[in-house]
Amino acid sequence: MIDYGALTEFLLILAGGVAAGIIGSLTGLGGGSVLVPLLTLFYGVPIEYATGASLISTIATSAGSASTYTKKGIANIKIGVGLEVATTLGAIIGALTFEIVVTHSLQYVLYLLFGVVILTSIIPTVKRGKYEYPEEKTLDFTSRVFQLGGKYYDEKSKKEVHYTGVRWWLGEIIMFFAGLLSGLLGIGSGALKVLGMDWAMNLPMKVTTTTSNFMIGITAATGSSIYWYAGYIQFFLASATAIGVLVGSRIGSAVLLKISNKEIRWIFFTVLSFLGVDMIFKGITLSKIYNIPPIDGFGIAITFSIILVILLFIKLSIAEGKYGNLR
Amino acid sequence: METSDKLTAVVSAILKYAIILSISCIIIGTSLMFINGNANGIPISQLANYENPKSPSYNSSSFSPVLIPQGIAHFDALGFISLGLWVLIFTPVTVLISSLVDYMYTKNRLYTILTFIVLFNLFAAIVIVPHFVTN
Repeated sequence: MIDYGALTEFLLILAGGVAAGIIGSLTGLGGGSVLVPLLTLFYGVPIEYATGASLISTIATSAGSASTYTKKGIANIKIGVGLEVATTLGAIIGALTFEIVVTHSLQYVLYLLFGVVILTSIIPTVKRGKYEYPEEKTLDFTSRVFQLGGKYYDEKSKKEVHYTGVRWWLGEIIMFFAGLLSGLLGIGSGALKVLGMDWAMNLPMKVTTTTSNFMIGITAATGSSIYWYAGYIQFFLASATAIGVLVGSRIGSAVLLKISNKEIRWIFFTVLSFLGVDMIFKGITLSKIYNIPPIDGFGIAITFSIILVILLFIKLSIAEGKYGNLR
Repeated sequence: METSDKLTAVVSAILKYAIILSISCIIIGTSLMFINGNANGIPISQLANYENPKSPSYNSSSFSPVLIPQGIAHFDALGFISLGLWVLIFTPVTVLISSLVDYMYTKNRLYTILTFIVLFNLFAAIVIVPHFVTN
């Protein structure tokens, strides 16, 4: 006899995973950034299990999309593997820190940090894509020693793009923190990885985003095994979210290719900033510094996120010199 | 020096088939869980109770990966779900081993060392570090 109550619950979590996958993919922040707040704020899942489920789902989505990008030769496996030296180390330290935080009942720190990370990730993510090719920079010794050159065929401009990265050491430093946040918060830290490769190493945006996607799976797998033994992978949740987020991210990337009006993404950025603000409020409440009633927090978070996104939209539009070309 | 085309093709294939294998195992496992009404002898109502992280019987700490073959042999839901999840965790290991072989073959000494370090970190995360986190 099938337990329909449990089945409904499973399908509801799966649907949440699909939604997280779609929003994560459309905003470019990844499913984990949406899944953890969704599970903790709306499904009543403890942050320990939400983070574990998110890490597992992150590997699934990374493998799913990285397969396509590596086949097309856009993701640079060599640069990705080289940077994983720092990211995997960061993920181990992050996962161990997570264990310490949880065993000392300091979960509120995770909520606060998560909220701050989401909110600060939105700005570099919305700016992403404005500059397809980086300005040329003088190559340094790391460009040659660490073989940071590569090429890919750009379908849009129908030409072969050659590039060479710089400042490998700076990329490694940023990647360490990307790994740390991944192990600590159960996310892919795609925004920080992009910062490391785009800003620090001066790689083209396509190479940066696809290589970051490839790397996310390795980083998340490092944290996941530690989470497994510590008991933070809850089978019922992780199964539903792994399937859901994978399906959602596929839908998201298919939608992204079809929609001509990219400004629709701003709706999802509003959702994301709402989740970020609400996570901070939950953290404040749990820390017992100040008790924010859920209903009040909900209203304030919605208002705050709408204002924040409108301001960001206007600021970027002015910086761009015109409306409607934000990506 | 560029990443060899052969490595790119191998990595892409590993990622593609690993995700198919993993998700298939998870789907088989969850289907078995709902059909049998339990997994590893634990009733589904308790498996679905995720609100208490302090109950060790229902999370990964109570199901060591060494129990997976036994679970599969008994056609148990938890065996299949765990296999699916571990396939995901091991996918990057396979990718890294392929890269290591490629760099060794092309005599790229620096990247052989770097890939080895990453593999060591993953190995540490899977085998060594868990000893410090399990109670």
